[in-house]
Amino acid sequence: MSREEHLAYEYLRHTKKFPAVWCAGCGIGIVMNALVRAIDHLGLEKDDVAVISGIGCTGRMPVYLDFNTMHTTHGRALAFATGLKLAKPKLHVVAVMGDGDALAIGGNHFIHAARRNIGITAIIVNNSIYGMTGGQYSPTTPRDMRAMTAPYGNIEQSFPIVELSIAAGAAYVARSTVYHAVELDKYITQAMRTPGFSVVEAVSYCHTTLGRLNKLGSAVEMMRSLKDNSLTVSAAQKLEAEERLGKIVRGVFHNDPDKPEYTRLYDALIERASGGGNGHEIRTSIKGR
Amino acid sequence: MSEEAVVTTSTPPEVEEKQEKRKRGPRGRVVIFGTWCKGCGLCAAFCPAGVLALDDDGHPYVIAPEKCSACHWCDTHCPDFALTVQPVERGGEE
Amino acid sequence: MTVKLMQGNEAIGWGALAAGCRFFGGYPITPSTEVAEMMSRELPKVGGKFIQMEDEIASMASIIGASVGGLKSMTATSGPGFSLMQEHIGYAAMAEIPCVVVNVQRLGPSTGQPTAPSQGDVMQARWGTHGDHPIIVLSPSSVKEAFDLTIEAFNFSEKYRTPVILLADETVGHMREKVELPDFDTIERVERMSTSVPPEWYKPYADTASDVPPMANFGEGYRYHITGLFHDVAGFPTQRMDEINPWIDRVNRKLERNLRDILLYDDSMLDSARTVVVAYGVTARAAAQAVKMAHARKQKKVGLVKLQTLWPFPEALIGRVARTARRIIVPEMNLGQLALEVERIAGRSKVVRVNKANGEMVTPRMILDAIEAK
Repeated sequence: MSREEHLAYEYLRHTKKFPAVWCAGCGIGIVMNALVRAIDHLGLEKDDVAVISGIGCTGRMPVYLDFNTMHTTHGRALAFATGLKLAKPKLHVVAVMGDGDALAIGGNHFIHAARRNIGITAIIVNNSIYGMTGGQYSPTTPRDMRAMTAPYGNIEQSFPIVELSIAAGAAYVARSTVYHAVELDKYITQAMRTPGFSVVEAVSYCHTTLGRLNKLGSAVEMMRSLKDNSLTVSAAQKLEAEERLGKIVRGVFHNDPDKPEYTRLYDALIERASGGGNGHEIRTSIKGR
Repeated sequence: MSEEAVVTTSTPPEVEEKQEKRKRGPRGRVVIFGTWCKGCGLCAAFCPAGVLALDDDGHPYVIAPEKCSACHWCDTHCPDFALTVQPVERGGEE
Repeated sequence: MTVKLMQGNEAIGWGALAAGCRFFGGYPITPSTEVAEMMSRELPKVGGKFIQMEDEIASMASIIGASVGGLKSMTATSGPGFSLMQEHIGYAAMAEIPCVVVNVQRLGPSTGQPTAPSQGDVMQARWGTHGDHPIIVLSPSSVKEAFDLTIEAFNFSEKYRTPVILLADETVGHMREKVELPDFDTIERVERMSTSVPPEWYKPYADTASDVPPMANFGEGYRYHITGLFHDVAGFPTQRMDEINPWIDRVNRKLERNLRDILLYDDSMLDSARTVVVAYGVTARAAAQAVKMAHARKQKKVGLVKLQTLWPFPEALIGRVARTARRIIVPEMNLGQLALEVERIAGRSKVVRVNKANGEMVTPRMILDAIEAK
């Protein structure tokens, strides 16, 4: 097995056991594949990439990848990533999170990372369920669907990830699906090129929990459903509002590469702070970096 | 099954044979790494050309290699990196 | 040498800078906020990074991330924030990431009284995060000690690849005292042990002679995996007993075999003392005063132990004290937390608690009364 056969092999950890831990047909492996293609496309050195995850099925991704990887706590990947990015601003930091991890327990960290516009690429694998723990509903589970903690049907509305990201201040926001894997890696590439905070929502499915509980079919059928129910931004604009209900709209929704990125702003702050002295005598005893 | 070459008025037979091979030859060769395959069936279900079929265990095998157009749907969508599509010289043998 | 009138919280900040701290991620909370404000001002001057995170949970996560990126890092908080930080303190212990957590204790539980001192988080500092984990907890009783013990905290955290908690309190944090600070260039700084093996050979959690694995920083040529799951020497998650058991042994051993280095304390007049006062933090000041008063009143056989390291608990030291002392007095601004440890070890020695848990100080008079009580 070599890079010539499948470029992904260059980026997978040779000491890890494969196939990966996810269910047969799960979209997380497809996102991992897309991420690897994006990194390869960008020509990044493996030492210059960090992949950080939270907890859940998506959280199991980084261990398989031959980068600087961290599997942190539920919902907090972006907070760990913030510290790492500030310590090593030249690192390309990617945070991979599920919908529950990023938007429920991680919601606060999500909006603040976006608000700071810190140079992290957030990939949210949205399968609309808490898969790892057996299928409890998440902030993106559609209304009326059943889940292990919504036995009578979900009565909550779903977080609009794209609008949330833009409102919070992200520089780049895009959505695709695991059916559109090549489009996905294109968006991840663009996201990683963006200096500021980028969000790529990768719509997937969980056929073993949400799918089984709501009779949505096998992995093949749920994949087909992603294909049939998604459309591009321009196609969606031609539809009436009712026709858009339940559809997945794919595209780049926001792209502001010139928005000032947090670590660069802080570097400028350091310049200002180091330049102006305040005569504090202790400071003269402190060694600089 | 033998085919009688249909001789047209202007094209010599050997050139026509080459033309047919180019039109019908595969552009890609699917290589399956069985150890990593979990038998999810996505590749066979979505291959636009019907190159793959599933065996009794649900694992894919190449049933129609000549039809592969190297669209790479299978190897960009296999969650387990169990498939790759190798490029093939068009119009010739592998 | 610089002589300054300085606030305890400020001294903590200067101690951090002197120790080489170059990252602070925190959140404002009384009575610790001055540490954050000081670091926000001073860190950028030396090229360090300060960030006010959105909450204490994120603060603790950010200092772990920064430490993984190679910076000595610190956060500062008080009770309610300390409670929020527990999960990540456990993460740092599990992943063996050096970092310093300052808890300037205030009266609890819950919102309690933000501006009143307390020593109510002693047990929480040891056991606040779930699961069996080793930890180092230091307790300063003066502004100078706040400076010195912050430096010790950083050095311990780097040396032993462990989070270290600096358990101060509102009084020490907010008081102002004259301090003589040494030239920072003369301060001994311990750096995390780095590795020089070829990257493909590096094992982030390898068994070493010292029980502390060398730590490579992210982005410097060594790629590896860090997780809060139980992991093997490569950092990969494992459920194998032959990988989990050695980890548990090693991580606990790495502190237990170095107690001589870690257990800091001052003692006086212990020889043949029949009554010994064991105190820490701000209460140690009242204890010192009480013992002085007792001596002035001809109570000769009174000794004093001022603990600077609270955890690991100095069992051998207290055990020795218990052998000769008939009574051990433990004054604390709580309902008896360190006293539980002393009682556990005291044997036949009687342990007398002197407690206040309402934000008022334990006074020298209260301790003296306990000393003189028959």
